[in-house]
Amino acid sequence: MRNAISNRPISTPSESVTLLHRPAKGKAALACWLAMPSNVASDAQPLVAVHGIQRGAKQQAELLAPQAAALGRPVIAPLFDKHRWPRYQQVVLGKRADLALLELMTELRLAGIWRTQTFDLSGYSGGAQFSHRFAMLYPQLVRRLTVSSAGWYTFPDAAAFPYGLAARPGRTEDWGPRLAAGMEEFLQRPIQVCVGAEDCVSDPNTRHGPEIDRQQGKDRVTRAERWVAAIRQAAAARGISPQVTMTIMPDCGHDFRDCIQHGGLADLILPPEEVSPDRPRSQHWESALLQPAG
Amino acid sequence: MTVLSPIAFDMLDQAKWAFSTRRVERQDAVSLLDMLTHATSGDLVLGRVERIGSHKKIQLAKGRASELYVGDLVVLACGDRYAPDQFEGLAELDPEGADMLAGGGVLGRMRHRHAKMSAPTRIIPLGMLANAAGKAINLADYALNKAARPDGLKVIGIVGASMNSGKTTAVAGFAHGLSRAGHRVAAIKATGTGAFGDFNAFVDTGARYVADFTDAGMVSTYRQPLVRIESGLDTLLAHAKRDGCDVAVVELADGVFQKETADLLRNPRVRDGFAGVVFAAPDALAAAGGCAALRAMGVEPAIVTGMVSCSPLGAAEAETATGVSVVTRSTLCDPAQANALLAQMLAKRFDHAVAVSDVGVAA
Repeated sequence: MRNAISNRPISTPSESVTLLHRPAKGKAALACWLAMPSNVASDAQPLVAVHGIQRGAKQQAELLAPQAAALGRPVIAPLFDKHRWPRYQQVVLGKRADLALLELMTELRLAGIWRTQTFDLSGYSGGAQFSHRFAMLYPQLVRRLTVSSAGWYTFPDAAAFPYGLAARPGRTEDWGPRLAAGMEEFLQRPIQVCVGAEDCVSDPNTRHGPEIDRQQGKDRVTRAERWVAAIRQAAAARGISPQVTMTIMPDCGHDFRDCIQHGGLADLILPPEEVSPDRPRSQHWESALLQPAG
Repeated sequence: MTVLSPIAFDMLDQAKWAFSTRRVERQDAVSLLDMLTHATSGDLVLGRVERIGSHKKIQLAKGRASELYVGDLVVLACGDRYAPDQFEGLAELDPEGADMLAGGGVLGRMRHRHAKMSAPTRIIPLGMLANAAGKAINLADYALNKAARPDGLKVIGIVGASMNSGKTTAVAGFAHGLSRAGHRVAAIKATGTGAFGDFNAFVDTGARYVADFTDAGMVSTYRQPLVRIESGLDTLLAHAKRDGCDVAVVELADGVFQKETADLLRNPRVRDGFAGVVFAAPDALAAAGGCAALRAMGVEPAIVTGMVSCSPLGAAEAETATGVSVVTRSTLCDPAQANALLAQMLAKRFDHAVAVSDVGVAA
C-alpha cells in the first residue's frame, strides 16, 4: 500500500515506538496517550495531536506512531473526555480546555517528554477546531499548525466569537478580541489545512444555521477553503506573507484512519524531511508517570 | 588619618548580612575602615544593634527574615531611602549612631518619617568593611557586568500612584500569566530600595530571570544619577536576554511623581523602550490623576490595575475617567489573557493593529 500524496510506502508500527497511556493527575487534568520513540533527540519537536468528538486520543497516537518512530519525535494525544470536556473544541467557552492542555504540557515537560520552547499542533475534526483556536490564543507556543477536517472555524473577521473575533453582543470583554490580539503572530505561523475530498456532505455533527452557512459554507470542504481564503486575506491586510496551505486528501471522507492511510495525513502532520539531524544526542525517556498501554 | 583594623572572618561571617549584601563575596572583607563620615551609597558597614525601633527584623542575604536583638552584629549597606509610607533618609553615617532605613539592609540618616512609624532601629557603625587593598567594599564591586540594552526583548513597564498601590502584585501577576503562556519572562525591579519582599514575590511567579537594581550595584536608586539607573536597567535587561528571556516586566518603584521614576519616564530612551506601560492605582481618582500625569510625560498607559480593580464600581469609574481598561490580578495571572494583553500592547506600540472589521468576511 502506498501513500496517495507522497507515493511513499505507508509506515508500519515498529519496535522503536511505544504507546503509553498517562492517566489524569487530578479532577480537572487531562489524561493522554503518548507515542514515544525509543530515542528522542533533546531538541525533538513534539507533536500534540488532538482528537475529534469521538475522543479517539489513542487512535491519534497509534496512527501517528510509525511516523513518530521514523522521525524520533514524541506524539502527545491529550484526552478531553466527554463527561468533563463537552465543549473542549471551543477552548475557552465553558471549562478552560486551554489551561488543561497547558498544565498537561508542563507535567510532560517535567517528565522529560519534551524540552523545546514550542510544539507542533494538529487536530482532527473537533480537535481541529480546538487546535486553530488554541493557536490563535497562544501563537508563540505553536511552531506549526495542522487543521484537519474541522467542522467549522473561528474566522479572522468581525463576526462574534466563536465564529469570528469580535466580542459577543452584550459583553464588554470577551474572548474574540483576545484571540484577535494574537493574530499578527498567528498569521506568521505555517498553517496546513487538510480535508478529505469526499468530506463535502453535511452530517448531523456539522453545525448549521443561516449565519454560519452564509459565513463559512455548508460542508467541510467549502468551510476549509473559505477559512484559508480569509486567513490569506487577513495576512495580506497586515503585510504578512501567509504560510497557509490547503490540501484536499483524495478518496477520503470524514475518517481519521482513512486520512492517515490513504490521504497522506501523517506525512502532512509529521513531514519526513524533518528528521532531526542530531539524533545521536538522544535521551531515553523513562518515567514512573507513564504506564505502558495494556 | 584612616585606621584599618583587621577583623576575624569567623566573627564577621556570623554577623547578620542583610539582603542588600547578597552578591558580596564575604571573604573579601578583611579589615574595618574607620572613615565612616566618608561613606557613600553602597559601602558595606559592620554595625551593632543599639536599640530596636521600627524594624524589628532584618532581611538576610539568604532570603529569610531574622529577629533582631540588641547587640546583634549586622552588615548593611550605606544608602539613601525614599519611602513615603516609612522613612526618607540619606546615605550619611554618624559614628555615634545611624538609622536602619530599610529591613533589606540600608543604613543612613533618617530625615523624615511617616506619622505611623516609630523611630528607626538604631545601629552603632563599627566600621566600613574593606578589602585586602584597604579599599572600602561597595556593592558596585559585585554588580553584574555592564551591558547595553538588548534588541528583541519585549519590555513592559509597571508604574503606580504610590507605594502599596499594587505594582508588585501587577508585576507578579503578569510575569506569572506570561510564564504560564510559555514565555520566558524576566521580572525586574529597576528602582527602589533593596529588599527581598518584591524580589521573592517575583521569584514565586515562576519567572525565568529575577533581578533588581542591587544586581546592578545599587542599594537604592534614590538620589542616584539618572544615567546610572538607566545603565543599571540596561544591564539587567541584557542579562535577562542572555538568560533566554523574550519578555521583561519591569517595576519602577513608588509613584510617578517620585523623582527618579519621573525622570526615567520622561527620558525618551527609557519611555520608548517600553512596549506598554501598566499603571497601578488604589482608587479611581488616583487612576485618573496618574493617567493624566503619565500622559503629560508622553506616556499612554496601556491598562490600569491595582487595588482599584478589586472594586467593580471603582473600576468602572476609573475606566470612564481615563478611557483605559482596568484589569484584575486574576486577569494578569491568566495565561491566555496575559498573552492577549501583551499582544495588544505590542500591536499599539508598533502601530500595526488591524481592526477585525477591516479584514475577512463578516457573517
